[in-house]
Amino acid sequence: MFSIIKRILAQIINDKRSLGILFVAPILIFTMLYFILGDSGYVPKITVYNVNDSVRTGLEKSADVEVTDAMPELKEYVETWGKDAIIWSDQEGMHIYMLDKSTKTSKVLKAVQDMNSSNIHINYEYETNDDNQLDSLSFVFLGVISFFFVFILSGMSFVRERTNQTLERMLMAPIRRSTVIGGYTLGYGILSAIQSVVIFLFSVYVLKLHVEGSYILCTLIMIILAFAAVSVGALMSIFANNELQLVQFIPIVLIPQIFFSGLIPLDTIPYGIGNLCYVTPIYYGCTALQKVVIFGDGIDVIYPWILGLIGMIGVLFILNTFLLKKYRRL
Amino acid sequence: MRIEINEIAKKYKSNVVLEDISLTVESGKIYCLLGASGSGKTTLLRTIMGAISADKGTVTIDGVKMPNKQMLAKIGFMPQEDALYSELSIFQNMKFFAGIQNLKKEIIMKRADELLQVVGLLNEKDKLVGHCSGGMRKRASLATTMIHNPKILILDEPTVGIDPVLRRKIWAYLHSLRDNGITILVTTHAMDEVTECDNAALLRNGKIITADTVLNLLKKTESGKIEDLFFIDEKEESICFQS
Repeated sequence: MFSIIKRILAQIINDKRSLGILFVAPILIFTMLYFILGDSGYVPKITVYNVNDSVRTGLEKSADVEVTDAMPELKEYVETWGKDAIIWSDQEGMHIYMLDKSTKTSKVLKAVQDMNSSNIHINYEYETNDDNQLDSLSFVFLGVISFFFVFILSGMSFVRERTNQTLERMLMAPIRRSTVIGGYTLGYGILSAIQSVVIFLFSVYVLKLHVEGSYILCTLIMIILAFAAVSVGALMSIFANNELQLVQFIPIVLIPQIFFSGLIPLDTIPYGIGNLCYVTPIYYGCTALQKVVIFGDGIDVIYPWILGLIGMIGVLFILNTFLLKKYRRL
Repeated sequence: MRIEINEIAKKYKSNVVLEDISLTVESGKIYCLLGASGSGKTTLLRTIMGAISADKGTVTIDGVKMPNKQMLAKIGFMPQEDALYSELSIFQNMKFFAGIQNLKKEIIMKRADELLQVVGLLNEKDKLVGHCSGGMRKRASLATTMIHNPKILILDEPTVGIDPVLRRKIWAYLHSLRDNGITILVTTHAMDEVTECDNAALLRNGKIITADTVLNLLKKTESGKIEDLFFIDEKEESICFQS
């Protein structure tokens, strides 16, 4: 097993492209997410008509406000003048007109909310008002992004082992099938563990991601999840005859798992489809991450999800060892 | 070590790949499986190794039924592809495959140098396999196959892509191994290579057309060319069909 681990590490060190996929690509994606979902400081452009001075000055606290004397043609005005919203009042109350739901129009609503900030007090139990969208969804991205790259890398490597017949050569030695799978899982697992640490440290210390709970616990969850990703990659590669076929598994294997990552509350999914989460490693990993990153929970709370994840790795290990019989009967 | 193949048959759905193959490879002999692509040579080798399960029949080595882990340790198998890691150097590949055979470091170093000398790659041992030419990779693959000093060599098209001078050198090395009691089973579709072997079986469509010592096989031809045996058999089939 030690030979396989050493070989995998030597292979990756000599392969700059794989190193890039493991370490540079996730950091780049996280950086992009930081700019896309982070607080960009955008000031919404609002035109007001027939509103009293207190509303106007209230909106001016967080928006660029223009006053008009005549009720404009709504759609034409917004599109022509590049406004995010038109706000007016009549006997029915206050109206807000916007073209669609977007990050810009959410800033308009935030400005409206801030307008009455002296009367409305919003508090989140688990998040601070400084937290942006990236902070709120960080547990999803930490889990999914690292899972994705490790799945691709380990799956592709295993497919290549087969198409290049190195697997066949390896299995013609008196080596146990479980040793092959174990060596493979540990070899790529070690690389994934390093990747998890790099991603986490970068997110926390460079991108200033807000993590409520223990950093060590977060990294540990990511490492266990990465081991699961290696096992899922190896499993899928057994059913793929070439690299292209493995890529074709992504919509089937990865995308449904993202739905169970905590992006959508599971109890809102109809017909009990949400129960499928129990067979997806990302559910266990991301739920545990959510509890640590957002709620600040410790091991005493998250251990069922950790155990679930370890259990899945165990099941996948047995399954992969069994399926390797396809290449050697012994 | 003696390999005995008894009535091996294999089919995929309705496609018959091997049909009642029986042959014996005597200890310390070079046995050649000769046939065109798709004739069943590789499938037969993989069945012997236990990578494929036969629908019927048995393979035994020195009376031990295959597949058997202890026997696998005594076999060196060279697949048709190079079966090497392109991100590792030639030596790293040899070291890895020796490692899974539980060879000691000092033995690996000595054996690797010896074998690389034979295949003419001693000065290139630190070159990444991905940077090697096709012929170099084939030679590296052959050297890797022999790293654990196997008692049986099973080689699937070992000399494809290797230049004639080096090919002669490799055959001379295989002869020396045979003379030291190593049993060698080799597949090829290069007719001229049969004369390097002691025995040969000609395969077509998963069936053995004829099998004998190479000397006897050559006697059966008028021209002394082994490929004529394929045509003789075709003529016989055609006569049978017409009658």
